[in-house]
Amino acid sequence: MLKILHTSDWQIGKLFGQFESDDAALLADARFQVVEGLAHLANAEQVDLVLVAGDVFDAQTVADRTIHRLFKAMSAYAGPWIMIPGNHDAGLAESVWTRARRLGAVPENVTICLRSEPLVLARPAVAILPAPMTQRNTYADLTEWFAGADTPAGLPRIGMAHGSVQGILAEGIDSTNPIAAGRAAQARLDYLALGDWHGARQVDERTWYSGTPETDRFRANASGCALLVSLDGGAAPRVEVRATGRYRWQSVVATLRVPGDVDNVIDTLNSLMAQDVVTLEIDGQIDLDGHRRLLAAIEQARGTARGVLANLGDLRLAPTQDDIDALHADGYVGEVIAELRAAQEGPGVQGDDARIARDALALLAGMLA
Amino acid sequence: MKLSRIRIAQFRQFRDAIEIDGLAPGLNLFTGPNETGKSTIVTALRAAFFERYRSNSAEDFRPWGDGSAAPSVTLDFEHGGEQYQLLKSFLGKKRCELQISGAGGPVRRLDGAEAEDHLATLLGFQHASKGASKAEHWGIPGLLWMAQGTAQDVREPLAHATGHLRTVLGSAVSDVASSHGDDIIARVESARGELLTARSGKPTGGYLAALERRDQLIASAAQVAAEIEEYRHKVDELARLQQAHEADQAQPPWLEARDQERAAARRLEDIQEIERTLGEQRVRVTQIEERAALLRTQLDGYAKETRTVDARRVALAEARQAHEAAAAGVGPWRQRLEESTRQHEAARLGAQRARLRERRLALDREHGALQVSVQAATQALASAQAEQARQQDHERRAAALRITEQDLAGLREQARLQRELELRLSAVATRLEFALEAGQSLAIDGDTVQGSGERQLAKSTALTLPGVGRLTITPGGADLTALRRQADEAGERLSSLLLGLNLASTDAAEARAREYGNTLAEAKVAAATLKGLAPQGIDALRAQLARDETRLREVEQARAQLLRQGDDAEQQAHSAIQPTTQPETSPLSAQEAESRLAAVERTLKQINTDLHKAQLTASDSQARVDAAQREHDAALALLTAPGRAEKEAACRQSFDDTLAQAASARARVESLLAQVEQARPDILKQDLERYRRSAEQLEQAFHQRRDALMRLDVELQAAGARGLEERQAEIARDLAQARRHAQELTHRAQALDHLLTLLRDKRATLTARLQAPLRQHLQRYVQLLFPQGHVDLDTDLMPGTLARAGTLGLESAAFDELSFGAREQLGVISRLAYADLLLEAGRPTLVILDDALVHSDDQRLAQMKRILFDAATRHQVLLFTCHPANWRDMGVAPRALDGLRARG
Repeated sequence: MLKILHTSDWQIGKLFGQFESDDAALLADARFQVVEGLAHLANAEQVDLVLVAGDVFDAQTVADRTIHRLFKAMSAYAGPWIMIPGNHDAGLAESVWTRARRLGAVPENVTICLRSEPLVLARPAVAILPAPMTQRNTYADLTEWFAGADTPAGLPRIGMAHGSVQGILAEGIDSTNPIAAGRAAQARLDYLALGDWHGARQVDERTWYSGTPETDRFRANASGCALLVSLDGGAAPRVEVRATGRYRWQSVVATLRVPGDVDNVIDTLNSLMAQDVVTLEIDGQIDLDGHRRLLAAIEQARGTARGVLANLGDLRLAPTQDDIDALHADGYVGEVIAELRAAQEGPGVQGDDARIARDALALLAGMLA
Repeated sequence: MKLSRIRIAQFRQFRDAIEIDGLAPGLNLFTGPNETGKSTIVTALRAAFFERYRSNSAEDFRPWGDGSAAPSVTLDFEHGGEQYQLLKSFLGKKRCELQISGAGGPVRRLDGAEAEDHLATLLGFQHASKGASKAEHWGIPGLLWMAQGTAQDVREPLAHATGHLRTVLGSAVSDVASSHGDDIIARVESARGELLTARSGKPTGGYLAALERRDQLIASAAQVAAEIEEYRHKVDELARLQQAHEADQAQPPWLEARDQERAAARRLEDIQEIERTLGEQRVRVTQIEERAALLRTQLDGYAKETRTVDARRVALAEARQAHEAAAAGVGPWRQRLEESTRQHEAARLGAQRARLRERRLALDREHGALQVSVQAATQALASAQAEQARQQDHERRAAALRITEQDLAGLREQARLQRELELRLSAVATRLEFALEAGQSLAIDGDTVQGSGERQLAKSTALTLPGVGRLTITPGGADLTALRRQADEAGERLSSLLLGLNLASTDAAEARAREYGNTLAEAKVAAATLKGLAPQGIDALRAQLARDETRLREVEQARAQLLRQGDDAEQQAHSAIQPTTQPETSPLSAQEAESRLAAVERTLKQINTDLHKAQLTASDSQARVDAAQREHDAALALLTAPGRAEKEAACRQSFDDTLAQAASARARVESLLAQVEQARPDILKQDLERYRRSAEQLEQAFHQRRDALMRLDVELQAAGARGLEERQAEIARDLAQARRHAQELTHRAQALDHLLTLLRDKRATLTARLQAPLRQHLQRYVQLLFPQGHVDLDTDLMPGTLARAGTLGLESAAFDELSFGAREQLGVISRLAYADLLLEAGRPTLVILDDALVHSDDQRLAQMKRILFDAATRHQVLLFTCHPANWRDMGVAPRALDGLRARG
């Protein structure tokens, strides 16, 4: 029985500019930590082999220390690591891989497949058919040659590729780096380890996307995991999805209509924890108090969670009469408040004007409070 | 507030008390010269209100030199229907008492500080917490009570009164006030000031820094993106080069070129061999052709010799023919020569004869002429000799008769002198007339006279009367004697001259002179005749005659000789001409004969020349015949030389052989040339060069590419080590954050800006509304003073820009730009407006003007008087002046301060 840990899309070197710098640093750091976690997992599960199906690095020209740090992070597992380049780290004439070799950063137990040729290992006894990307993008199916490749009889044939399996996504989407559907069966593969999609997904009986082990975007489903694959003779592989990610990325979308709506959002914010990464999309209207509380809750959430993005651009600030009374805004200040309220609604109000009026109103309210 | 009584005691110059009673509720006019206490009254009023009764600063109020005085002021006034009496005294008697009695209400008494504070609240001022009261404490009264020369200054007193005025305005329109509007504005301003500059609204501080950081990062991002693009481009280039390099390494492309080069070189060598052979063949062809040419020349020589013999033969025949013709031409010319010679001889003789004849005739003519000439000359010579003798004769006579003109003139002069003296003598002399009877005579000095006559008696003259006796008459006069003597002397001189000339008298002299002249003339005639006969003199005539005679003899001799010759010639001519020619009918003239002879001579000469020419031609042709004969013989000798025919045959044989050789050699050359041309060695050379260069170029390209590869590899390694894309990600991250930050600040700045604008607008609107009443009051006065005048109020209630009708339409000027007079007028006006406002709010108003409006012109002053009069219908006005005349028309009686003092 052959036990494999299948992973991909580590995207090492990725930074998260949309967040505050300390959050971004932690999220970037998490990508190294998850590799350490994978090594420990491989160790713990005593796998025979780790397959990394492309996009190990997020970019070709990452810093030297990043390269060193990655391979160090893999050190907990001393067994064989087989890697192929993906579209982010394609095996170009000069690439992150040639640099890694030059730097001497690649340990003995790590094999990087830069050529489309069978790799036959003795221990474990297995034949790997890699489809490394040697261009940034290609419209050719790099797995085409798998079927015609002879491997020693009796050895499991395992394919590795990075790209989009045809016929799964809607027509016309991401048509680069295609992989023909049914390649595993057609090329007599025991297992086809795929990368490129950040969510884990089974394509067919012997074909899987592992997804990224650490989520790096909000719209990724089923990411933050790795696959434990067991091959036993000619039987279909047994695949176990293992959660490996630390951070939960979530979108909160809400339209505020009644005063109670904001409480729900605030509850959500209050319930956030350190491993949460959140984006807020809030529109509708809100009174002064609700606005104050919402802003306070967002600030608080920023303290707890690892990243909070808040888009309140379409939110309208509508002080109630009680609000205004509470502000004791008599005389001309009262008139100003009334004008700022009016400026946020009504036909012909430009987006910027409404925003400026809202901000001005919030500022005034803050000063009066 | 209406003052009704003022009492001042022991206060500065008022050592004694003065009291001003019965003050009118409206205008009160106080007059007096300087130093009469106008200002002291005002000071006393201020002291009564503003100074604490306990204040030590009241020392100032004490009359000079009166240490024990207790200055005091007592005021009675009415306000709001209540009567107030204030007694305030300082220093010695520190007291303050205020009695307030309402209409029918109980009397209230307030003492000390309580009384003072009550008044401060009522009038709207403060007390100094320490020391003397200053302008800043005076509030409303400080504004309305205008000290001497301060009416134009509004700003400062207004600032001290603004609080009180605002209260009045605020309470007037309490419903629009904002409890913390200005505070909010200040905070918004401050918050905005952190982001935007106050004046131009440009980003500043942190906002500016955020924008700059964002822009820097955008620039950095662009740069890194460009670098990454270049890096990627280089990576692709590297791949391309590597592929090409490997392909070349597997199969070096220059090897093929080298092979082609070698093949071309071989082909070139072959063709060069052919070219060499061709060269040799060409040389051979040249040699053969040279030999053939030599042989041909030889053959031509032989042929030429044969042709020469033929030619010579023909030439000889021709020469002979020509000679015969020439020889035939000589005979006729000889005959013609003989004939011409004969003709010539005849002509010559004829001419000779003619010449002789001519000569004889000439000699005959000369001979005749000479005979005539000799005869004439002989006659002329005889006449000339006769004439010469006559001339000589005349000349001799003339020499004998000679008398000169001078002699004659001397004679004439002396005769005239004598006559003149005689005349004078007769004039002086006694005239003696006589008339004698016929036959009677008398002797006068011996001379007997008869008849009648007269005498001049110059000396004693004796008349002898025959028969009678003698009478001696002696003329009188002294000079008669002298005259007589002079006349005698003249007569003697004349006689001596005549004697010298051997003449008897002057008449004889004259006659001789005439004769002399005639003789001279005759001699001249004879000379002239001689001249005509022998112009060159007689000797010349004689010589001419001798010459003519000699010539005559010669001519006679020549004639004789000629006659002899003529006879000989005649005989000769007859013997010569007779057989051939007819005797001449008439002898030719010598000239004709000569010209005929000349013509015959020319003909003869011509014939001679032609004959000579014919003879020359004949001998020349003979010479030619000889030469042709010789040449012919020589050529014939060559041709007939022994062995020549054999030689010629051999030569012809070898010429034919050589021609055959040349043809074959040329054919070979043609064939070789065709080979060479087909092979095109020049193109072959180019091919060789082309292949060589191609190979070199390919090899060089290979090496260059290898170098480029190495270079690119190194570059890429270096670039990769810089972690460009990681840096790009970092920059993108920082840029996103910077953008967010900048955007937040932009939003905040926009909001603050908007808010501030709104607040200010609203506040300005409100202020305008609040100031409306004050504006109305002010406007009322301004229009009285300035036609169509209008004055703004700023937020501090200060009069601002004054607009009014000027000479050029509406003019406007800020308050501070106005003239002193106008400022003073506006100052008074605005105070009256403040007073009106205060009055409406039920606050006490008292207006004091101390020597105000002294800078106003009459017209303005008149308007100001109307204004003051109007104001005085609502407010009590105390007006102090040292110019009472200016204020006579205010409708009130002035109070003279002098009088007041007297009352004290």
